[in-house]
Amino acid sequence: MDKEKMKEHDELHHHNLEIDEEMESSEEKELIQWRRKLIWAWILAIPIALFMFSERLFGIFLFNEQVTGILILILAFPVIFIIGFGTIKGGLTGVSHFYFNMDSLISLGTIIAYLTGIFSYFGFVKDYSGISAMIMAFFITGKYVEALARGKATSEIRKLLELGAKNARILRGKNEIEIPVSEIKFGDVMIVRPGEKIPTDGIVVRGESSVDESMITGESLPVDKIIKSNVIGATINQDGILYVKATKIGKDTFLAHIINLIEEAQGTKIPIQKLADRITNIFVPAILIIAISSFAVWAVLSRDISKAVGIGISVLVIACPCALGLATPISLMVSSGMGAKRGILIRKGEAIQTMKEVKTIVFDKTGTITQGKPEVIRIYPEKSKERIIEVSASLENLSEHPIARAIVSEAEKIGIRNFKKVSGFKILRGRGLEGDLSGKEVVIGNLDLMKERGISLEKFRDEIEEFGERGYTTMIVAENKKILGIIGVADALKEDSISAIKSLNERGYRTVMITGDNLKTAKTIAEKVGIKEVIANVLPEDKEKKVIDLQRSGMVAFIGDGINDAPALKQANVGIAIGTGTDIAIESGDIVLANGSLSNVVSAINLSKATFRKIKQNLFWAFAYNTIAIPLAIAGLLNPVVAEIAMALSSITVVSNANLLRRNKI
Amino acid sequence: MKKKLTISGMHCASCAANVERSLKKINGVKSASVSLLTKKGFVESDEDISDDEIRKAVARTGYRLEKIEGE
Repeated sequence: MDKEKMKEHDELHHHNLEIDEEMESSEEKELIQWRRKLIWAWILAIPIALFMFSERLFGIFLFNEQVTGILILILAFPVIFIIGFGTIKGGLTGVSHFYFNMDSLISLGTIIAYLTGIFSYFGFVKDYSGISAMIMAFFITGKYVEALARGKATSEIRKLLELGAKNARILRGKNEIEIPVSEIKFGDVMIVRPGEKIPTDGIVVRGESSVDESMITGESLPVDKIIKSNVIGATINQDGILYVKATKIGKDTFLAHIINLIEEAQGTKIPIQKLADRITNIFVPAILIIAISSFAVWAVLSRDISKAVGIGISVLVIACPCALGLATPISLMVSSGMGAKRGILIRKGEAIQTMKEVKTIVFDKTGTITQGKPEVIRIYPEKSKERIIEVSASLENLSEHPIARAIVSEAEKIGIRNFKKVSGFKILRGRGLEGDLSGKEVVIGNLDLMKERGISLEKFRDEIEEFGERGYTTMIVAENKKILGIIGVADALKEDSISAIKSLNERGYRTVMITGDNLKTAKTIAEKVGIKEVIANVLPEDKEKKVIDLQRSGMVAFIGDGINDAPALKQANVGIAIGTGTDIAIESGDIVLANGSLSNVVSAINLSKATFRKIKQNLFWAFAYNTIAIPLAIAGLLNPVVAEIAMALSSITVVSNANLLRRNKI
Repeated sequence: MKKKLTISGMHCASCAANVERSLKKINGVKSASVSLLTKKGFVESDEDISDDEIRKAVARTGYRLEKIEGE
């Protein structure tokens, strides 16, 4: 990139950042706006109420009828047309393009009511202008309370949006300079002190520390970081200084992906919501027609225009598309926030509904039930452990094989750092490796290799068999044709695999493990975690077919790493992608678990079910409210102000009820 | 093609439904979704749709398009 372009690029980034900051506080701004409107509306509406009801309250008219009428008209004007300007404008703009919204209803209701105040002078109709101010004041109050409750519902998600670091200290040459995060370039080395946020995704190039990743992955324990460890932007460095080379910036970071995922999820539709959405779409025009018809029928039947106008206004303001339209998304929002806090990311709203139909849960083995990387599990004989490891690690250090890595890291774990010099090193593909170690001929490998070299297994036969039965990969270490010992390597279980699967079995799910391993190894592991059904010897590309087979007997959830298992995750009715930190494919899976723990599978199921219950409850109340309230208004049983209060309460109820979702333990 | 929109001025469920409907009417749009709560919309299309067209579709319903990002 030439300099000119680079500058342009920077400016663009900067510009975006500014807008982003504005958007973040938009929720608060909205709240402040509603509060200001609320105060002014009531300053004017309270005197109006006193004038209107003075006779009833104090037994006297404060002024004569005509003066009262004029005063109310004067006081109500700013309530409707100045304080309510946004609402009136929004409502009428929509009407002019045939896009009706709730503002259209309130606008028509209040404007018509206000105009009666003028027409009443000609004796056509009763004066509803005072009522119009009351309706607007209650409408604004309702909106304010709703905004408050909505703020609570969206609080976790907003916290996530604001999580990113603002500034970064980077190394330019030998100097340390502080720059805004948006100016970090790929490859910059950032200096992160204890207690500071890591500015963006990167790889540790110097230093050691532990990092609190809970805000992103939900993992409550700090994660150790050494050279070459990947770190996630916005996580917090705990105790050492880290030098981190930036590998992802801007919208490519893990946090940006998560935010995008959550925002996109809010727009996804849950099947149960379809009817409510269809009704929301035609709701306002339908109410307009009902209001006009009610007015006309009452006018003809009762020959009382005033009463007919009152009923028309009541119908307009009582109808509440918000309760219906908000019922599902507000529940999904609260649920997303609760999930995000633990690293459970709901990517497709539909999964919440599908989850309750799921009968079978299929687990991929490697990386899902197990850690996904082999570890040294046992060494025999125990007493010569150090020597066995030292000898084998010296050779294995020259290989990149996962089993070799496991032995080397075991050596590091027990404090062996300097390996012996090896000559004549050779990798024997599929069997093991060999080399000379201070004049001694060392061979490490499987049974076949030992037989090939004519090494006697005599004293170790029982142990080798036992290791095999336990599902270990056994490495035999021989020195000058004599066996030193054997090393059992296996992919260890994740800590909570057993308890998570137990809890799923107890709930009556059919649990299945799928793996490319041979049946014997697979069965050993399945038994250990409590899975009865095993599908072994499955090639990665065939996992999808196995899911299709299982789907014949009911809905299937598949839990896998999202990289190799993407097709199976997609095929399953609910795909749950699991991974650790940045090693996760966010784009596959309907639900994404950002920390490797299987107990989050249980939490995700609990959360889905609780959310779905909440959605059903909310939809029920919203439907019930409208089917009861609208006929009452048509029947002329509700005063317009009462109608408006009922309307405001209905949407507040839906939002507050969604907030109650937090009471569920997941 | 997928575009992410930030829309301001919506404050009821039918507002979001209106914007969604209006966006779906643009020629070539495969799917559109708008969330009242996040004030974000997503438009998916086979061909490239001009930002201006999207802006107009939002304005038609009485709201404002604040920001548009391509992916």
